[in-house]
Amino acid sequence: MKVRQPLVPLVLSLLVIFHFSLQASQVFPYNYQIETLENGLKVVSIPLKNPDIISYYTIVRSGSRNEIEPGKSGFAHFFEHMMFKGTKNMPREAYDNFLTKLGAGTNGYTTDDYTCYFVVFAGREHLEEVVRVEADRFINLYFDEEMLKTEAPVIEGEYYSSVSNPNRRLYELLRHTAYEKHSYKHTTLGYLEDIKNMPNQFAYSQLYKKRFYAPDNTILLVVGDFDHDELMTYVRKYYSPWPKSGYKLVTPTEPPQKKQKRAHYEWPTKTLPRLAIAFHGPAYSDTQIDKAALDLLAEVYFSRRSSLFQRLVIDQQICLSLSASFPDRRDPYLLIFNAVLKDEKDLPEVEKAIFEELTKAKNELVPTDLLRDIKSNLKYSFLRSMETTDGVAGTLAFYINLTTDPGTVNQLFDLYDKITPENIQEMAKKYFRTENSTVATLTGGKGK
Amino acid sequence: MKGRRIRIAIILTILSLLGTLISCTQKPTSGLQTELLPVEGNPFVSFRILLRIGSAHDPIGKEGLCYLTMAMLANGGSNTLSFKEIQNKFYPMAATVNFQVDKEMSVFTGTIHVDNLENYYALFKDMLLNPGFREEDFIRLKTNQLNFLEKTLVNNMDEQFGKEILNLMLYEDHPYGHHEAGTVESVRKLTLEDIRNFYQTHFVQGNIVIGLAGGYPSDFPQQVITDFSQLPAGQTPKLNLPQPRSPQGLEIMIAEKNTPATAISMGFPLQLNRADDDFFALWIAQAHFGEHRQHLSWLFQKIREERGQNYGDYAYIEHFVQGRDKFPEPNHCRQQQYFSIWIRPLANTNRHFVLRQALRELKILIEEGIPRERFELAREYLLNYTKLYAQTLGERLGWQMDSHYYGYEDFLGEAQKRLPKITHEEVNQAIRKYLNSHNVYIAIITDEAARLKEALVANTPSPITYANPNMPPEILAEDLIIQNFPLDTQPEKIWIAPATAFFQTTGLPREN
Repeated sequence: MKVRQPLVPLVLSLLVIFHFSLQASQVFPYNYQIETLENGLKVVSIPLKNPDIISYYTIVRSGSRNEIEPGKSGFAHFFEHMMFKGTKNMPREAYDNFLTKLGAGTNGYTTDDYTCYFVVFAGREHLEEVVRVEADRFINLYFDEEMLKTEAPVIEGEYYSSVSNPNRRLYELLRHTAYEKHSYKHTTLGYLEDIKNMPNQFAYSQLYKKRFYAPDNTILLVVGDFDHDELMTYVRKYYSPWPKSGYKLVTPTEPPQKKQKRAHYEWPTKTLPRLAIAFHGPAYSDTQIDKAALDLLAEVYFSRRSSLFQRLVIDQQICLSLSASFPDRRDPYLLIFNAVLKDEKDLPEVEKAIFEELTKAKNELVPTDLLRDIKSNLKYSFLRSMETTDGVAGTLAFYINLTTDPGTVNQLFDLYDKITPENIQEMAKKYFRTENSTVATLTGGKGK
Repeated sequence: MKGRRIRIAIILTILSLLGTLISCTQKPTSGLQTELLPVEGNPFVSFRILLRIGSAHDPIGKEGLCYLTMAMLANGGSNTLSFKEIQNKFYPMAATVNFQVDKEMSVFTGTIHVDNLENYYALFKDMLLNPGFREEDFIRLKTNQLNFLEKTLVNNMDEQFGKEILNLMLYEDHPYGHHEAGTVESVRKLTLEDIRNFYQTHFVQGNIVIGLAGGYPSDFPQQVITDFSQLPAGQTPKLNLPQPRSPQGLEIMIAEKNTPATAISMGFPLQLNRADDDFFALWIAQAHFGEHRQHLSWLFQKIREERGQNYGDYAYIEHFVQGRDKFPEPNHCRQQQYFSIWIRPLANTNRHFVLRQALRELKILIEEGIPRERFELAREYLLNYTKLYAQTLGERLGWQMDSHYYGYEDFLGEAQKRLPKITHEEVNQAIRKYLNSHNVYIAIITDEAARLKEALVANTPSPITYANPNMPPEILAEDLIIQNFPLDTQPEKIWIAPATAFFQTTGLPREN
């Protein structure tokens, strides 16, 4: 037996300095500081002693939710691409070379509610450079119409990269059918016809930037090996000239759904049949019990340990998978149940089984020991997500986008702790009404 | 460093004499190996139980057996508990047992909070050492495997489909030459008895490396070793692999399906792996030419950034599986490696142009080498970026295991020492020595395959159009060269088969 030392001494385990206790009410174990510049830019910093790695996240609170005008679906994501085009001070190639020399793990991603840019790098001595370059990128982004026209087809290529994935198509269909007014009707990638029209959206791109890429709509989240005061010195120095936007987005209100909707997608080739059932649900909240109670409900009735999963997937084996997905969103979103089946003929049976399970949720109280196990699962799952600096930043970025406050994590888990079986039953009755549901199916054709 | 494989026999404490603990004698009794990475105070423990057994060990006619056996252990019940019961016990701990299978190695992984270590390990051990091999689990997992081969791989994931066709081409009539999940024909024939036999034959001490990382108690490794020592002694001999056949010219396999987008993968066997000194020089070349999902990739710059053709274009000098974020996933070590280019899906109308462009760029790389400034850039990039590779406990442990597989104490540490010493000329020499642009296997998934074949054989010009009416003149000038770039294609070396014909049986569907 031989004991070995870590491969990369720089990268010590992040969590070594924190030994969690699940009895503690603070599931998020790190101290953080929040400061806001005069222009509205909020900075959340979490200095950590151990690793030599810094995760630098810029969270722009604009996603496909912000695409409220017709013909603009997918624009938040397209703009994310344009954010890599550089500035007049540092054109694209110089920006790419800067990140390349830094050996940074870097990218951006767009979601329904926010767009996130991250630079993960080793070496605190590079912090000022990163702050300077990122501030320049956000304040002075420059691209002309030709650059936009060249980039636009890349989005089409991104669409093509998932064109063979039936889950994507089913998800698009589900959202498109379930929503009437709200911008959650389309996915982050957008409708193909809007994607194809992106080369003609230069004027809108300038408007989009002015509205949303502004300090009062952005949060900096920095996690890792740095000193908070040093960070703030750089942030003030480089981000202060960034002008506010003041734009107030008003998303369309989704009218209550009055009857069940159904939709079907015929996949051109052979594929496993798929079923998705969605109910309109609540927005994220760390104070109202609705969403938290529904999160627990999803685990009770649709997790891998649920009786329905074990019946349909393990015992009867008519489903390859079964799951519930209740994503947290800033506006009221969907509570979605997904099943991948082995045979098309079982679609009605699985649909019926899901609705019956929801009826059960309305008529019975969840055993308290099961609820305890679920709360334990949620906490341990959350802790696992924070094994690295990037894990902490990536996890927290999601929650910060929702409320702008990292304290929301602990508030949410406090709320989970307070949820009772009666709360879950009450929420099942409130949301899982047939007229509030949308059923989408996808089955395979017989093409080549 | 070559050949410095660490092989350390495990010293077991033998407790004996009339059933009482009156003496302890350390004695090497097994071929078990360990990789330990204790991190005092860390609240998690990561397990990696690695087997030096992979899909290349599948018996002929039983392709997919290794994969199904591993699936039965990780996703089936033990002798004492059904899979459902295990799921229920795992649930409050948010615990799982995961597995991956490559050609020559497989690994079971799991990470658990120290609060739950004892309970988790009791289940983990039971699953691996005392498997239930229940009929109901077998039917469920075999059906899943068949569905993956018949429906998902061929119809729902074209990027991966293209890579897997390339694998079939690279390793025809070779132990690597089938998908890890096997073929529809072979999996259908697998029986529970096959699983039991494969387990008994291959789950032996000499094939196993016990990997532990994190804040485990100091006596925990010994407990694990003692438990795994109940496995029979023995070792499967290391595979004596034949040389894979090199392509003769451009050998093109087109999988035809109804699709608006074309996926392309291409490559050829490579006569080096991470253990070779030249690897470091060629690694710099790869970072320059096609670093995975990075702007540094030259192919990415030329195809996506300059021309907006698709979502990305990359190149690799060893088998690459993306793990956390965009970093390479550990525990995919192989004796034999291959060079590959991955062109992400693009509009069918531009397929011929981009195929020409990728091969032309490869030709230029070989003929002209890397510009000095790009060499400096790629080297500096690798020196910094590789510091991010191993961050989680599981990753660190996996990289440690891989280091030893290839004969290094610490491969990433070795890179920090070696890369600064590599010269520009050494990189260009390695490119000329190992790469070529004439003998390449090319896998294409597209629609209207006959039309593409006709155009390829005739070397028909393949101009493209842009949404931007004011493309830079230097790009348009280069496009004129690319659209006429001759590809030395022979009609008898371009095969077309319906997408649904792949993975039905071993090898390639060449009938058409």
